[in-house]
Amino acid sequence: MSALFVMFKVGNADYVIPASSVLELESFTGATEVPGAPSFLRGVLNIRGRVVPAIDLRTRFGLARTEPTIDTRVVVGQIGTRVVGLVVDAAREVVSLSSEAFRPPPEIIVEQTQGFVQAIAEAGQRLVMLLDFPKVIGEESTHAQ
Amino acid sequence: MTTLLKDFLPGYLAEADEHLSLAKENLLSLEERLRAGETHPRAVRDLFRSLHTLKGLSAMIGVEPVVEIAHQMEGVFRALEREGGRLSLGAIETLIAGLAAIEERVGALSAGRPVAKAPDQLLRRLSGLTAESSGDVSAEILRGLEPELLTQLSAADVEQLRLAIGKTGRAVRLDFAPSAERSAAGTNITSVRRRAAEVGEIVKVIPTSAEPTSAHPSGLVFVLLLATAASDAELLQALMLPRESLRDITMVDAKPGIFSDEPEPSIEEGDRLMGGFVRVSVAKLDETMERLSALIVDRFKMARAVTDLATRGADVRALSAVLSENSRHLRDLRGSIMKTRLVAVEELLRPLPLLVRGAAKATGKKVNLETKVAGVELDKAVAERLFPTLVHLVRNAVDHAIEHPAARIEAGKPPHGSIEIVARSLANNQLELTVRDDGHGIDRRKVAAKARREIPSSDADLLDLISLPGLSTRDTATSTSGRGMGMDIVRRIVSGELRGHLSLKTEEKRGTTFTLCVPLSLKIVDAFSLSCAGQLFVVPVSSVDDILEIDVKDVLAAPAPGRTHALRVLRRAGSQIPLVSLSHALEMPPISVLRPKAIVVSRAGQKVAFEVDQLYGQHEVVVRPLEDPLVSVFGVAGSTDLGDGRPVLVLDLMALGARAIAEAA
Repeated sequence: MSALFVMFKVGNADYVIPASSVLELESFTGATEVPGAPSFLRGVLNIRGRVVPAIDLRTRFGLARTEPTIDTRVVVGQIGTRVVGLVVDAAREVVSLSSEAFRPPPEIIVEQTQGFVQAIAEAGQRLVMLLDFPKVIGEESTHAQ
Repeated sequence: MTTLLKDFLPGYLAEADEHLSLAKENLLSLEERLRAGETHPRAVRDLFRSLHTLKGLSAMIGVEPVVEIAHQMEGVFRALEREGGRLSLGAIETLIAGLAAIEERVGALSAGRPVAKAPDQLLRRLSGLTAESSGDVSAEILRGLEPELLTQLSAADVEQLRLAIGKTGRAVRLDFAPSAERSAAGTNITSVRRRAAEVGEIVKVIPTSAEPTSAHPSGLVFVLLLATAASDAELLQALMLPRESLRDITMVDAKPGIFSDEPEPSIEEGDRLMGGFVRVSVAKLDETMERLSALIVDRFKMARAVTDLATRGADVRALSAVLSENSRHLRDLRGSIMKTRLVAVEELLRPLPLLVRGAAKATGKKVNLETKVAGVELDKAVAERLFPTLVHLVRNAVDHAIEHPAARIEAGKPPHGSIEIVARSLANNQLELTVRDDGHGIDRRKVAAKARREIPSSDADLLDLISLPGLSTRDTATSTSGRGMGMDIVRRIVSGELRGHLSLKTEEKRGTTFTLCVPLSLKIVDAFSLSCAGQLFVVPVSSVDDILEIDVKDVLAAPAPGRTHALRVLRRAGSQIPLVSLSHALEMPPISVLRPKAIVVSRAGQKVAFEVDQLYGQHEVVVRPLEDPLVSVFGVAGSTDLGDGRPVLVLDLMALGARAIAEAA
């Protein structure tokens, strides 16, 4: 069984999330800051008439926040009724990965990423990490697959 | 609806039982009269009322089978009441079967069993009766009654008069004009009725208005139609009324046509005739509002485009004129749409007497609910969110505030506790609702002990305390408590979801008043735009008391050792108000500006001024709530769009002000 995944870059690493939970990819030019929100929240965005919170994945992963570049993207994902954007350094590809390609992540990665990485897989020449999207946005992990 | 159903069920059952036994009693006495060849219009009227009430109550809590049966039975009695005629004894059997079927279903509801569907056969038999009862009544006239009075008599009344005359011999008309003098002598409409009932049978009492003269100084005359065997002299003596107030109206045969055969139009028919009402689903109204919201955002975009053109040197006078006209039209349109969404507060409160009844019965207390809400309306969406909070406050008042009758008498109060709900519209499209009880007041010490906090010194602090999630001061569980929401939820709905304000006033032994202030409408509000720490925000105009330029001479910054930020004081028109920097309140890095402005808000009589960098102007904005937990933060009521597609946050300055003051204290 193989499925489609959206692949994106945060820092020097590549991540994927299932394409089925992604509503759209948008370029990012800035968000409206929300005072009092968690520090990893970049702000709120207007995505097709809907006001959506955007998480800065760099900050979420402990990297320094950067100014948006021409490559910066928002990956807009949905879980249940919640729609949340992830601000990433670049997002270009949709890849097809088979479920056998995924392996549990090494202990060190689990610790380092606070459990945000569910699994790792080889996609072509690269090693990609499967992001636990619900956990990133503060929901209980679903442990899909 | 299920939690609400639980809340209303005890009251429903009590009320339904009462009407069922009343209806049974009346039906039996109607049967008795029928056997004697007479009619019994009063029983018919009461039966109609009982079944009408049963139907309404059952519809409210959604017991469809009872609604269906009561509806058919109500129809039978309505036809009887309006058109006269007689029921056969067989019809009475069917009606008794109808009552039994209702009783069975109410019983099932009470025992928590599923309610059986209404039997088709019974419904068919009942609807057959409706036709049978519509008898033909011959047209007659009563001598000595003006046509205006005649129109107030139903065919059933005339039938009753005729029967009564048959028994007693004659009918008279008595005119009684109340006055201060007569009232002082102990004669009022109640005493007249009582005395009249002793000497005859009162068929009807019709209040009429007249030109105020010495004969009837109050301009009010009660016309009593009385069937009696007594002579004029006996009547006048018994009733202690002057000679001219009595007239014989014994029926004579007369020309037809005074009593119109046309039944009076039903409400539905009346509406149709006048082109009056259309039922519209709320979803459709929401859709209209959504479309209007889009238009308003478009207008911002146009305004922006026109400004851009102007800065590039184009002549935009004509465009600007069209824009401002467009803006006026949009405002009118918004007004019309909002009006269609309004519902009467009276309508909203309709289920509450039932709730009070149920809660009072369960606790063994006596409680009167009084509402003064006539003529006040609010948006359907607001009404729907507000209703659960009222249910909570009222139930709390019965369960926990109002004392048992014995304790009340001991405290020198009437045995009946009272709950009063008053609604009034304020300026700025706000609605104020107060829920007042005359119970024992909230015991600060007890609440503080329960919460393990200090005893609150003010009512506002007390409200904060009782609004702590999970706090309950209930000593014993009552049958109605132990479920539903707490004050924390009431507060969240009022201040958070509705962007309103909740306050409390309680006096030991005297009672407690909750005041809810909410906007009449939610979505589209007038707002000021401002900038703070380099970011654009808007605040609803309804929360703003004043805006002004800050003059450094008017600002007093007292030293505050050990604090990173001192609360300053702004002198304004002879009074001093706390001055809070908005960037500080929002924990944003401040930027320095040459001429800061201040926005003054007032909450529960206390004013707070916010220092902001710049004020831009007033707009009509569409507010969208920020629902995601990541962004539902204190002091931010929602988000809007001023035309460039970027979200602009809507601030709740009242909440921010309250927090800033609490922090500085």
